[in-house]
Amino acid sequence: MFLAVKEIRHEKLRYGLIISMIVLIGYLMFMLMGMMLGLANENTAAIDSWDAKSVVLNKNSNISLSQSLIAKQDLPNLNGHQALVGQTPAVIERAKGATDKQTIQFVGLDSSQFIYQKKMKLSSGHKPHGKNQVVLDEGLKSKGYRLGDQITLNGSTQKYRVVGFAKDAKLNIASIVYGNLTTWQTLKGTGDQFAASGIFSDQKQTVKNKNLKQYSIGTFIEKLPGYAAQNMTFEFMIAFLMVISLIVITVFLYILTMQKIPNYAVLRAQGIPAAYLIGATIGQAVILMVSGTLGALLLMIVSKAAMPSSVPMLINWPLTGILSLALVVLGVAGSLLPVRMISRIDPLDAMR
Amino acid sequence: MTAIELKNINKDYGTGISKVQVLSDVSFKAHSGELSLVLGPSGSGKSTFLTIAGGLQRPTSGQVLIDGQDISRFSEKQRDEIRLNQIGFVLQSYNLLSYLSVADQFALVDRVHKGNLSPDRLEKLLQELGIDQLVNKFPDELSGGQNQRVAIARALYTDPAIILADEPTAALDSERVKVVGRLMKEMAKQYDKAVVVVTHDLRLKDFADRIYQIMDGKMTEQPLNA
Repeated sequence: MFLAVKEIRHEKLRYGLIISMIVLIGYLMFMLMGMMLGLANENTAAIDSWDAKSVVLNKNSNISLSQSLIAKQDLPNLNGHQALVGQTPAVIERAKGATDKQTIQFVGLDSSQFIYQKKMKLSSGHKPHGKNQVVLDEGLKSKGYRLGDQITLNGSTQKYRVVGFAKDAKLNIASIVYGNLTTWQTLKGTGDQFAASGIFSDQKQTVKNKNLKQYSIGTFIEKLPGYAAQNMTFEFMIAFLMVISLIVITVFLYILTMQKIPNYAVLRAQGIPAAYLIGATIGQAVILMVSGTLGALLLMIVSKAAMPSSVPMLINWPLTGILSLALVVLGVAGSLLPVRMISRIDPLDAMR
Repeated sequence: MTAIELKNINKDYGTGISKVQVLSDVSFKAHSGELSLVLGPSGSGKSTFLTIAGGLQRPTSGQVLIDGQDISRFSEKQRDEIRLNQIGFVLQSYNLLSYLSVADQFALVDRVHKGNLSPDRLEKLLQELGIDQLVNKFPDELSGGQNQRVAIARALYTDPAIILADEPTAALDSERVKVVGRLMKEMAKQYDKAVVVVTHDLRLKDFADRIYQIMDGKMTEQPLNA
């Protein structure tokens, strides 16, 4: 480490530029991951907040909550771990005053069941009582919606009062408006012959009705429209970026080591063991990668703070930690090529 | 006392028809407290002689004896240790790292050296060589002469028995040659080292205790007043 630290401190510009490059690569990876997680979270935040483990849908719905309808006669006897959810896309608008129309996901709940009782986390107000009250995703505050506002759904004359704002109320990258199942039936236009879109549970469910089928939440989420393709795109971008960064960092370390060969040959001639010089090179790679990664993390935190809340970005610290570690490990792995070069330095080169 | 002895050294490069004999039956002794000058023109084999004496490469045949041990048979690691502990090199390039201050050039040796090097000894060495005020300077902030003194101090720091110097007066004017010659002589006398200087510079003859001539790979001892 001694040689590594001394050289970095003496060659501030050169190593500053290399660290800057690592900072930028790391920053790009962290931002991509943050946005991937942010988008993924906006797809599934509500389902995650319900702690659901399984869902029962109409078997012909192609595992789509929007396409699923559960007829009342197919409805099983529900236990305390099951909750009906009626979901449909809708458009909300303030009944008075100017506010842009917003496309939302309306979610109708039964007030006697576990999602309404235990899982609806409010940031302000209270849960909806009766068919004329709704709770909005707190993200809609930034669109001008306030407690006590009257809203309309899909342009109907029926008005609903906003009585609360909920946290983590996002589904398919749209804000949720929580109401009751009667309102859902009205919006969906199904009348009362259908009970809900699906039955969510925080346990595994058994289904005996041939019109219904149970799915794990993992399967259900993977089938959310665009979810898997979007995540896979981001994952490939991050993976490619990691491979490219490994190559770039390796090339940099290789060139740096090449430039030091005459110095290292002199040190070898003086009896400094190759292992010491290899240690210095690996130590230098560790310092560069750790400094660059810390810089990238700092930049990501600052960017997150400066970003408008409408940009979906989520920092998952355990995952960020793993990605940081991977970046450092890959960078150090990249220093193994120059290490091979050092082990082959001929002390005789010092005399040439 | 003999510090290093080379016995019947032969060194060939290449094989078969392209074989070139660079050193032929070279025998040589360097004694503590003496400055031995090895003279020869370019291509005479003097650099090969120095690298074999310094354990940087092995001879094709013959022995390199330090403390009675033939270091030419040593492993690379053992030869590293010999170079670190028993041989000091003063190279043309002064063998200083550009990014280490004068103090750090010695700190590096401290970190690698197995034995305990004394800070008092270093301080004394720097004072004696007149470079104790330069410890925070980097090589590019020093004159050529100051760099050379640092390189000499660096070579002496581990208290080796043998100092090998490669063309220490290359490209120096006559006044500077005298200064370097005196320095090499002092190094031998004051610190009781066997100093071997390989050079083509005849101006150093005035400072030598023994003079050897290498010509076409063969070494002969020359009289001092020749």
